[in-house]
Amino acid sequence: MAGIGFELRRMLRKNTLTGLLQAYAYAGVIGSGPWVFSIIGILLVGIFSASVVVPNFLVTQFQTSVTYLVACSLILTGFVQLAFTRFVSDRLFEKKRDLILPNLHGLLLGVIAVAALLGSLALFVVFPGERLLYRLLMLAGFCVMCGVWVLAILLSGMKRYQAITVLFGGAYALIVVASLLMRPWGLEGLLGGFVLGNFVLLAGMWVMVVRDFSPKGRLIAFDFAERKLLYPSLVLVGLLYNVAIWADKFMFWYFPPTSEPIIGGLRASLIYDLPVFLSYLSIIPGMAVFLVRIETDFVEYYDKFYDAVRSGGSLEYIESMRDEMVYAIQQGLGEIAKIQTLAVLVTFVAGPALLDALGISSLYLPLLHVQVVGAGLQVGLMAILNVFFYLDQRRIVLVLCVEMVVLNIVFTALTLHLGAAFYGYGFAGSMLVTLCTGMVLLTRQLNRLEYETFMLQ
Amino acid sequence: MMHPKAAEADIALLLEGTFPYVSGGVSSWINQIIQAFPEYRFALVFLGSQRSDYSQFKYKLPANVVHFEEHFLYDGLAAQNLPHARPGNEATFEVLRGIVNTLREGSAGTEQTLQMLRAVTREMAPGGNFPLEDFLYSERSWELIRDTYREYCTDPSFVDYFWTVRIMFKPLWTLASVAQNLIPVRMLHSASTGYAGFLGAVLHDTRNIPFALSEHGIYTKERQIDLLKSEWIRDNRNVFQRDPTELSYFRQMWIRLFEWMGRYCYAAADPIIALYETNRLRQVQDGADPARTFNIPNGIQLARFAPMRDKRPAQVPPVLCLIGRVVPIKDVKTFIRAMRRVVNQMPQAEGWIAGPTDEDPSYARECENLVRSLGLENHVKFLGFQKVEDLMPKIGLIVLSSISEALPLVILEGYAAGVPTVSTDVGSCRQLIEGLGEEDRALGSSGSVVGIADPQALADAAIALLNDPAEWNRASQAAIARVERYYTDSMMFGSYRKVYQKALGGPATDEAR
Repeated sequence: MAGIGFELRRMLRKNTLTGLLQAYAYAGVIGSGPWVFSIIGILLVGIFSASVVVPNFLVTQFQTSVTYLVACSLILTGFVQLAFTRFVSDRLFEKKRDLILPNLHGLLLGVIAVAALLGSLALFVVFPGERLLYRLLMLAGFCVMCGVWVLAILLSGMKRYQAITVLFGGAYALIVVASLLMRPWGLEGLLGGFVLGNFVLLAGMWVMVVRDFSPKGRLIAFDFAERKLLYPSLVLVGLLYNVAIWADKFMFWYFPPTSEPIIGGLRASLIYDLPVFLSYLSIIPGMAVFLVRIETDFVEYYDKFYDAVRSGGSLEYIESMRDEMVYAIQQGLGEIAKIQTLAVLVTFVAGPALLDALGISSLYLPLLHVQVVGAGLQVGLMAILNVFFYLDQRRIVLVLCVEMVVLNIVFTALTLHLGAAFYGYGFAGSMLVTLCTGMVLLTRQLNRLEYETFMLQ
Repeated sequence: MMHPKAAEADIALLLEGTFPYVSGGVSSWINQIIQAFPEYRFALVFLGSQRSDYSQFKYKLPANVVHFEEHFLYDGLAAQNLPHARPGNEATFEVLRGIVNTLREGSAGTEQTLQMLRAVTREMAPGGNFPLEDFLYSERSWELIRDTYREYCTDPSFVDYFWTVRIMFKPLWTLASVAQNLIPVRMLHSASTGYAGFLGAVLHDTRNIPFALSEHGIYTKERQIDLLKSEWIRDNRNVFQRDPTELSYFRQMWIRLFEWMGRYCYAAADPIIALYETNRLRQVQDGADPARTFNIPNGIQLARFAPMRDKRPAQVPPVLCLIGRVVPIKDVKTFIRAMRRVVNQMPQAEGWIAGPTDEDPSYARECENLVRSLGLENHVKFLGFQKVEDLMPKIGLIVLSSISEALPLVILEGYAAGVPTVSTDVGSCRQLIEGLGEEDRALGSSGSVVGIADPQALADAAIALLNDPAEWNRASQAAIARVERYYTDSMMFGSYRKVYQKALGGPATDEAR
């Protein structure tokens, strides 16, 4: 998320309360960005439709279908998310802008082809008996969403955070409106609105990219697949990170005591899913703090550190810049902890009312609490992974992601085995342990930063 | 290019930045020596800075060079692959810290320090406890570099300190591996201290074979001059930190390195041969054992030059010729400035600069610019490398404006062809022009000696000789007499024959001493 720091610093430099609020709001919106819009959008569609779409079960079917679309498309594009971001920023650094658009097209072609293939397969495997229109809409939705993630990656690689946020906001507003208008057609109507909105989002982002790059010459290229321009570790990290985030959810969906069949082969876990969605809303302030701290303070000293290394600073100066980097990370993690603690407290206070409003038994209140804690830990982990990306320690990120996947699966399985009182602890526990590992590794890394920078170059 | 390779040889000549890639005084001396001993098989080990600095041989390898290998010390400084972290051998770095401390505090005697250096050097050989990877990548190495920077470095730039350390010491591992892989030889002969001398010492210590050292210049001194002029050794002190009387810290580091490599080499070498007395004294001062030192002056083949005397026109040509590489140490600029004054008084005079300009192209360009700015385009010519046979009959004076010389062969060659010399007072030049002992002086002076960087004196001395045919003839006769009596190649070969025979176990006598 480099590049956002400049904007944030500009706001903070005003040194006024509004400037500060503006910066945090901006960071919050951008940091939580797309997925918050998706969650809010889907919840809104559900709430608005609940009274109109009858039977009520259709709304659940819609929400579950969309959740699967989001999860599967994120996992599938996980292969390319980080690797392509790196490809784009490397090419921008080399000032080879003209390579980006053809490669985007090549990547889109590849990703959508694979998505269409897997999606078509799923139509027969997962939804054998469903209506044709529903199945086609799901296939379309899957392909379009995969395209959306690829373009979102490219735009964030180009630091167009604001544009992404505006487009996502607009698209989900459109989804809510379209769903409202099309709800007489039931599930297909809601899903049609969703696909339409995402298609508009995809088209909007594509138009923006094309306008940015004013294409000439080749239209399609596959340079990103070249071995020397590709970072296999990033391909793996992107995949594993998304798998890790969704692993516990899938397990809850397919563990009979916690789930129920919704549509075709899709299952959902009412008790687990809503607390999870709600908990992700709780991390908006954490993400804001994370962005402000890491992208302004940390990056400032990070730049100074490497400038000093390159341009002949004294060792004392280099070391003090390192210390400032460490301090910024400590501050950032500390503040994330504080603000997420606050979020947890709010959940404790408002939780019962919230669950009541959503019609979930307050027996699952402890699950919401744990989920909020787990989501907060995830923010901390993301902050640490981000620092490792800045330090170009891809191997460590890979190790952490593997750890996250394995622990999430093992711990979640354990909690499923232990019973309802332990639900949610699997995810939170895996985040906690991985976060601790990350902190230990980061401490070690920062302690030998100069050694590695000079000796192992 | 295919180089000769052999399984073994008699004498390994260790050559740093000279024969056969670079032409010059030392190179032609080496050429002479190799050809004078066809009974010995020579193995040549050439050490250069970077491959790209050397294009092709300037000399054809004599037939008795059975083996040639070349190594470039500053190539491959950047790692090929991403290296892995490693701790580094604890004991070795303890010794290193000990060396740093004793060198800094001067608390240990030279012999003790040399013992420690030898211990470390032994571990640098392939398979030892101090591999190059430990130096380049290990944590202990990092700590040592960091601590020495904190403790001693007065230049603020850490990155420059870091790379200076790397560039300075990395060649030693190259040399350790060269030493291990060299074919079997019966003795070592190095033409300088420095890296070549270090290699000789390592080979001597590991193989226990005789090691002779012939120094033409004094390496440490010449390196200092190169270093003082080289701009790639950076000085990052700002105007407040800089004391103009103090050398940049990085230069001091280099100078100290070469001083210690010199000591290391002197401790192993026997005999330590100087060209002339001043240099022998300097060697002793720099740590050479006086009992191992003696002089063998350069000598030239009279028969090659004597016929040129008759080819010269009756009228002495008003041509001043500087024969040598166009490099800063020759101070060609002083010669060019002197030419302005000479031409003012003798408009027909010409100044020739006969020697390759490719060794330091930027300096050569500066010299050409100076010629233009002094308006001497028609009087000063850069001839490039020339055969002395063609040159000698056409010139009236050999000029040397160097700020450092040893025993320049060009003076002797000029003498043999009857050409007097005007030279700066460096190296053995005064001895060559005015004579050393009583008997030598009695021959008269064969030219003039002037101070360094004094174009006016240089010009005046040259004019005085060229404008006075009688004086010129006296100097010419003295020159011929001097070279015939003291500086012939047969005398030099005789001395070296004794050195080689003693080392290789022939019918040796101690007379060489």
